[in-house]
Amino acid sequence: MSIQGIVIIDLLGLGFVLLILNLIRTKKLVVGFGVVWLLAVGGMMVLISVPPLLQGLPALLGAIYPASALSLLAFVFIFLILIFFSVQISILSTRQVELIQTVAIKGLLAAEAAEEDD
Amino acid sequence: MSQRVLIVIPAYNEEKAIAGVLLGLRQAYPAYDRVVVNDGSKDRTAEVVDGLGEKQLRLPCNLGYGQALQTGLKYGLLRGYDIVVSFDADGQHRVEDIPAVVGALADGRADLVIGSRFSDNRPYTTPLDRRLGQLLFSFLTRPVVGQRIYDTSSGFKALSAAACRAIVQGSFMDFHLESIVLLSLLNFKIVEVPITVRERTSGRSMHSLASIFQYPLKTILLTVVAAMDAYLIRRTR
Repeated sequence: MSIQGIVIIDLLGLGFVLLILNLIRTKKLVVGFGVVWLLAVGGMMVLISVPPLLQGLPALLGAIYPASALSLLAFVFIFLILIFFSVQISILSTRQVELIQTVAIKGLLAAEAAEEDD
Repeated sequence: MSQRVLIVIPAYNEEKAIAGVLLGLRQAYPAYDRVVVNDGSKDRTAEVVDGLGEKQLRLPCNLGYGQALQTGLKYGLLRGYDIVVSFDADGQHRVEDIPAVVGALADGRADLVIGSRFSDNRPYTTPLDRRLGQLLFSFLTRPVVGQRIYDTSSGFKALSAAACRAIVQGSFMDFHLESIVLLSLLNFKIVEVPITVRERTSGRSMHSLASIFQYPLKTILLTVVAAMDAYLIRRTR
């Protein structure tokens, strides 16, 4: 990749890093998710900025062109992060159900207790 | 000593039918306690239940049938009931069938009693898609459970406290085929008793067009998960 291409991609990556940091600061993104995205962006920037790494990647993954190898990596990352998000949403959903059920049961128990006191 | 019985009635937008159901139960079985699980109804269901002075578990939002019923089971366990009966709020179930369902449990013949619409070749008409699904799941039960269960999706069931505990501790349950498989693999006894159901006169069925495709897949997935659950529970015992 040309120097110009590396600079553009690194600048875009830096912008993305700043965006993630700002989202964490404004509490729109939890730190755990922020770390995952920062690792992904950082990894991509290092791969693109260090030519020997970028050239060695296709051989490692059995691809012909560096672009194909990067696309494969991106695809794997997207797939993993979608599974990760599905798990996180499911955990939140389960907790929400338990919370709602607990609120309903506690509400009735409190009403029964109040009735017994009367 | 007589066993304490709790009738759990999950309800979602059943303002028209719920009063008749509760009055019927109250009149026929005053010794049995009742609790309505108001599954985030948007109509006047909560007011009707309050007006009758009946207990209700108010879910702040709609969780769906399985989770609503699970709330009732959790409440029943917390309150130390020996038998928990699930009964529909739409008026389809008849109070006259309760003794048969509870009786099989009370005399120790079973841990789960299913009020069956289809056993004894009962004339109960359902849409073709649901009937086909029922038949498929009914045949599937024989190799898995060891006995044929004719009505795997009946909402009219009675469970012992031990069976309730096993179901509540399991993975997410819809209280249909997967709960039957889980209990059977954990060596709980399951019995079907014939019941007669009425056609619903008000409210809307929970079955939608999407559920024709979603329900069988979801049920099969849940059943596999339930079988895994049962296997792991048995291994740790």
